[in-house]
Amino acid sequence: MGLIVKTSARAIIPLIGIFGAYVVSHGHLTPGGGFQGGATIAGAGVLFLVAFGLSEMRKHYNKHLYSALEGLGGLVFLGAAMLGIGTAFFYNTLWHNGPILNGKPGTLLSAGFLPIMNLAVGLKVFTGLVSALVAIAMYRRWKS
Amino acid sequence: MPFIAAFVFAYILWLILTAGSKGLLWSTQELIAGLIFAGIIGYTTKDIIGEKSTRFLNPIRWLEWIAYIPVLFWGMVKANFHVAWLVITGKIRPGIVRVPVDLEEDAQYTILGNSITLTPGTLTIDACPKEKALYVHWIDIPEGMERPESSEPVAGPFEKWARRLGK
Repeated sequence: MGLIVKTSARAIIPLIGIFGAYVVSHGHLTPGGGFQGGATIAGAGVLFLVAFGLSEMRKHYNKHLYSALEGLGGLVFLGAAMLGIGTAFFYNTLWHNGPILNGKPGTLLSAGFLPIMNLAVGLKVFTGLVSALVAIAMYRRWKS
Repeated sequence: MPFIAAFVFAYILWLILTAGSKGLLWSTQELIAGLIFAGIIGYTTKDIIGEKSTRFLNPIRWLEWIAYIPVLFWGMVKANFHVAWLVITGKIRPGIVRVPVDLEEDAQYTILGNSITLTPGTLTIDACPKEKALYVHWIDIPEGMERPESSEPVAGPFEKWARRLGK
């Protein structure tokens, strides 16, 4: 892409990232959540891929790191669901008697395991979408 | 240190987004969460935001940006009425002109190009730092202005501003 697109992308990518992080971390308070915020951050990754091209993306993209982070997101989600396994699967024990995340409803540290799950889903969606789109962009050539 | 620049801009946006969590100000939880998330964003985007981006942390430059807002707004208002007049009369003389500019940094080209695009009637097609020129689609080229010597007839005072803001 041209110079103006590249320079604008340099300025905008951190802002898209922090907005996505805001959507993810306030999933229990405002509209949005893990998937929406993760897709927003993945939009920043796609903007980088489109603006700077595949060769630049290859230098910044680590297949193993992204694969591991996607797995980690799934595991954290499952781990949060397992926390209250003494009562039931998905029992929100952090909200009922947990040490943290049981603040007054409406504050950031409330709603039990929901912020943890939102962060896990956001990480999984971001890494998954970016990995999928980079894999499509790297697909060998146009013919066969 | 590009990390500092990315961190500061991300944290400022976080503060704007979460304002009002404690009265009109910010609760401690939001401030700490913002530090963590802005730290992550700053660390991951420090290679992207550009090596010399810390120059935009200069507070004097922020004042210059604020001073630029009315200039740009007034240029947009004037040009909008001009384009409305062109729409009514239908007398246009479109064409793509090469505008030589005296800029060095990428940010200066971006600011000037976006300012030209925002003022209607002119549209930046391409920025060529190699030949120090912008290619601008102009909806109504005055007679004899097909090869402008400077950006003055196309962009007005914007080149001066862009040179200072992006330095």
